[in-house]
Amino acid sequence: MNEPAPTIDMRGVGVTYRKRLLARQTEVAAVTRVDLVIGPGETLGLVGESGSGKTTLARVALGLLAPSRGTFLFEGRAFDPQVRRQGALSVVFQHPEWALNPRLRCGTSIAEPLLVQGLRGREQRRQRVRAMLAEVGLDAALVDRFPGELSGGQRQRMAIARALITQPRFVVFDEAVSALDVSVQSQVLNLIRRLQAQHGFAAMFISHDLAATRYVSQRIAVMRGGEFVEVAPARKFYDGPDHPYSRALYATIAGETGENAKELAS
Amino acid sequence: MSPRGSPVLAGALRFDRLGLFGLVLLVVLLFLGAAGPFLPLGDPNEIGAGPRLGPPSLAFPIGNDELGRNVLPRVVEGIGVTFLLSSMAVAITAVIGTLLGMAAGYLRGFADGFIARVADVLFAFPALLFGLLASAVLGPGNISAIVVISTATLPLFIRVVRSVTLSFTEREFVLAAVVSGASTWRVLWVHLLPNVLGAAIVQLTYALSIGMLIESGLSFLGLGVQPPHASLGSLLRLGSVYLTVSPWLVLVPGLVLALAIMSVNLLGDAIRNMLEPLRGRPLT
Amino acid sequence: MSAVVAVSNLVVSYGMDDGEVFAVDGVDLDVVPGESVGIVGESGSGKSTLGMAIGRLLAPNARFLGGEIRVARRSILSCPAAELRQVRRDSLGFVYQNPMSALDPTLRVGRQVALAIGERAGPAEIEAVLGRVGLPDPARVAAGFAHELSGGMAQRVVIALAIARNPAVLIADEPTASLDASIQGVILDLLAALRRDTGASLILLSHDLRMVARRCERLLVMYGGRVVESGPSGRVFHHPRHPYTRALIRAAAGNEGPGGMLEPIPGVPPVLRRSSPDCAFAERCEFAQPRCRQERPAVHRVDGREVACHYATSELIRADRASAAPA
Repeated sequence: MNEPAPTIDMRGVGVTYRKRLLARQTEVAAVTRVDLVIGPGETLGLVGESGSGKTTLARVALGLLAPSRGTFLFEGRAFDPQVRRQGALSVVFQHPEWALNPRLRCGTSIAEPLLVQGLRGREQRRQRVRAMLAEVGLDAALVDRFPGELSGGQRQRMAIARALITQPRFVVFDEAVSALDVSVQSQVLNLIRRLQAQHGFAAMFISHDLAATRYVSQRIAVMRGGEFVEVAPARKFYDGPDHPYSRALYATIAGETGENAKELAS
Repeated sequence: MSPRGSPVLAGALRFDRLGLFGLVLLVVLLFLGAAGPFLPLGDPNEIGAGPRLGPPSLAFPIGNDELGRNVLPRVVEGIGVTFLLSSMAVAITAVIGTLLGMAAGYLRGFADGFIARVADVLFAFPALLFGLLASAVLGPGNISAIVVISTATLPLFIRVVRSVTLSFTEREFVLAAVVSGASTWRVLWVHLLPNVLGAAIVQLTYALSIGMLIESGLSFLGLGVQPPHASLGSLLRLGSVYLTVSPWLVLVPGLVLALAIMSVNLLGDAIRNMLEPLRGRPLT
Repeated sequence: MSAVVAVSNLVVSYGMDDGEVFAVDGVDLDVVPGESVGIVGESGSGKSTLGMAIGRLLAPNARFLGGEIRVARRSILSCPAAELRQVRRDSLGFVYQNPMSALDPTLRVGRQVALAIGERAGPAEIEAVLGRVGLPDPARVAAGFAHELSGGMAQRVVIALAIARNPAVLIADEPTASLDASIQGVILDLLAALRRDTGASLILLSHDLRMVARRCERLLVMYGGRVVESGPSGRVFHHPRHPYTRALIRAAAGNEGPGGMLEPIPGVPPVLRRSSPDCAFAERCEFAQPRCRQERPAVHRVDGREVACHYATSELIRADRASAAPA
């Protein structure tokens, strides 16, 4: 019974927003009912279109939003904002443009979580920043640059460096590679895999792109209309998932090519 | 606003010619206003220095007013007083408005509702009417002028700051800071304020030009700067009586006021263009 | 059969604050009636510029520095404004990436379709056009506004606007990129069906090599403003001959098998400040030789397709026949 508690444990979680449209109040269920468990060191892929509820679910997982129904336990306990100051959580978002504060130098942005955590020594923080940049494959000289001077791929690596600098136990990647070119996307996906193998954090990888998701995840949950239609090991998404919606997504990355193209195209 | 590297440097390179003209004009006026008392222009208060309503001459480049005073140093004093009062009022607006606007934009909920309602009420009050009220309570003079200008420029400023704050509140880097445990204070001071500053500065320049107009209006009504001190507005008032006889008493202060307002507005426009470049980026 | 779209030696640059940026650096493209052509490239490749240039729909700071574009035998670059408008109206149809920004939020859908049809379009014609794109209740859609539609339906409306006058050429720029992946197939099927029914040509622009290879007869791969490889899509996708095409296939997620690794392309795509005097891909190319950094590669015909590479015919690449992408 010494098994560590799952990092993320959601049971029967639902999130409803109240919208006021003129005089009427309507309830919109962003998440209808979700059971989700992510163990330490595991990456769960979350696939679905925009509006499926995956971003809302991510916010619940990060403690930014309290669920309207159900229970959410972080590492076996009710969510306590204090874990943030321990540097246990972090997030990498989609748009490299706004991932970093445009008015701060990159080094400052990356060091900030350490500052919040209470790491006083400036030199100590600098060392950690330099070490982190090396890990994500960025030149140490970039600490003094502003985000606007970097390319999208570089900014996203900076965002990843900031996300991992406190050795978090749970990281959310919210469409983190969606805005990147194919050649850059592959670099960042490989980076995520390597860093996870090295640091062992649990992760939620959210994307509308099944191909990228199955590459970095151990398990995948397909979300639609606020609930999971299928949860299966990533391997299944190389062979063929079960649910019709999952299969429709799968078809976009595993169809026929080449000699049949003319037939399909006409 | 789009993010770019080394914000100050990149922006300075985009400063256009009109903005430069506005800046130069503003600097000249400010210099005159500040250095006026120390320049050998004559005594603004010396009654009977020259003939009453004397026309412009070599000794008195802008002539003399109805008490024979040299108008030139009075106009220079007017520039200084108008700018000083307006700047002080706008400074107060800047501090209060930024605090309230950011609180409303970031905290939302009750704070936002309350602040927005207060701003709306202030907005509804016509400035000059408020000026009458203020003078009735505080007595006419500099203090009531500052109060009026401040309350008149506050609502719009709060709205702008609130709006910009709102647009940044949902930005990824702000959320990332919250997730990593940053306190509300830290988010406001380190992340939101530097990004709000640009739009705030633009709005403050416009507030300054509005402030100068209000100040002139109040002084014109006799509610602002009191004699023997001169502001551009009070000079307009004193000179307006003699418009047909000695038009320079009105034209010169009026022209200077217009130039002052124009220079501030040009500067504001240039700063705004710096922050929001109009050229689009190509698709490939 | 004469080409309905004929681009030759096209060079386009954009005037930016800090100098010129060359987006298209010498492109030849012929599209015959009824053909489906896919153009694949990442950002900076020039594909969107090429696509939009065909209708002369580029930003004001775009400069045409050389070459010719002919649509239905009219010269796009030198014809008078009225003729250009007519060509855009009658011969070209554009489908864009984001349907919500392609539709006017303040006009009813029916009105926008009517404007696209032109002349006097009555309700019957409007509903007929909306019916052609597979909208189940054309009357209701026509009466409503853009924001009331889902992404997929909105994109169908955009396609309806594009085909309203039965153009000879449909140009679709990432038409499914902002839509749910599950309806990607449906929208592309629709474009294929319309192509079949009207005999129009389709030019499909995308970053998704696999998707384009499936849907188009011919495939063009762009890099650094040039077409680096072009030919029958199956051939290009399964047996790529240009180092960039090969690298792109190995780097794209979705082409690897379970447990496989993605092979990123080192470096970043170039920003061309002038017409490239050498091979734009040289610094990232695993086969690069000194000649690649000195001489601009000409287009060679190799294995039934065109490749812009000095070493397309050499042993190096022929020997790698086995490294085709998995189907």
